[in-house]
Amino acid sequence: MNSESTSLPYTDTKPVGASDFYFAFNATFRFIEQRIGTEGLRRYWRDLGTRYYAPVAERWKASSLSAVAAHWRDFFKAEPGAEVEVEQTESEVVLHVRTCPIIKHLRDNKRDIMSVFCQHCYFVSEAIAAPAGLCARVSGGNGSCTQRFGAALPPQDLEVIASCASHVSTSSPLTFES
Amino acid sequence: MIGCYDFCGHYEWTFEWLREQGGHDLVLDYWENAIYRQSQTHATALILQKGFDGMREYWGHTLEHEAAGYAATEAPGVYRIDMHQCPSKGFLIRNGLVQFHDYCDHCMGWIGPLMRDAGFVIDHEHNHAGQCWWEIRSTSDQSAASSTGELAGDADVRLRPDWQTPAIDHYNRAIHPDDKRPLP
Repeated sequence: MNSESTSLPYTDTKPVGASDFYFAFNATFRFIEQRIGTEGLRRYWRDLGTRYYAPVAERWKASSLSAVAAHWRDFFKAEPGAEVEVEQTESEVVLHVRTCPIIKHLRDNKRDIMSVFCQHCYFVSEAIAAPAGLCARVSGGNGSCTQRFGAALPPQDLEVIASCASHVSTSSPLTFES
Repeated sequence: MIGCYDFCGHYEWTFEWLREQGGHDLVLDYWENAIYRQSQTHATALILQKGFDGMREYWGHTLEHEAAGYAATEAPGVYRIDMHQCPSKGFLIRNGLVQFHDYCDHCMGWIGPLMRDAGFVIDHEHNHAGQCWWEIRSTSDQSAASSTGELAGDADVRLRPDWQTPAIDHYNRAIHPDDKRPLP
């Protein structure tokens, strides 16, 4: 994928990312929650949206919903195992996430997923969308969900974002005798 | 959602975010306890259980997966990697992403503690331009790092005309990112 054929702000020489990196997402979120707390984790997600993804926000500000739809189409093309339909209407963009590639890969590899994992989609996307006068809303999760992007959406209820409390409990922190 | 396609970008960004929150020690804590002990449990299981065979299995899979340009060399008592095109640092360079002062330290940040626990030490250099080399030996093996070309032959990254950069970091029998010694 090169920068001329995608709406993604950062591009790589390979067309699709390496799924084992998903392990680090889960580990990073859990680490920040353990060390800095829930508010710290939410601040991390918001800062990620506001700062790291600032170029995405710029594109959404310039082209609004068409840029939002283009971003997510290109984004999911580069995520291995994603099954996502991107629907654009006059007032919003809706992501129908049939198979979340992260949750699938973590589950396939028997990783213990932190319960609030899916909330990152709301906090990061809301932070990206806000400068463009848009908001993001997530419902469902834990493997499949619906995400809406629009200018006038009801407030996010975190209770409608599914917990990922795992059915496996095999990857508690490793400890070794030194 | 955040993605694995640009993982190295937000991973590097996260180092600096953590440094802002809790300083250098929080970054070290992150590499050891989040990346080594939580994320890379697949590498840990292989290397703790199988030693050099586990290294071959882990890096053979993961470096192919990340489309790295590298060479692995095995000789009695040592496992060596010559990284000619680091996919991770290369991504950052191509996209102009620099938040943290030394992204390359993250490898020693998680591999160092893993090797410590598995009974190995590391000789290593990185040139901050997407090239590095690693030699991993048992803690009880007092052999010095190989000279240029001695182990890896033509694949030795130090033979590259662009290997020498103004800031090569050097590690000698290391197990920790702060074991770094800049070359004069």
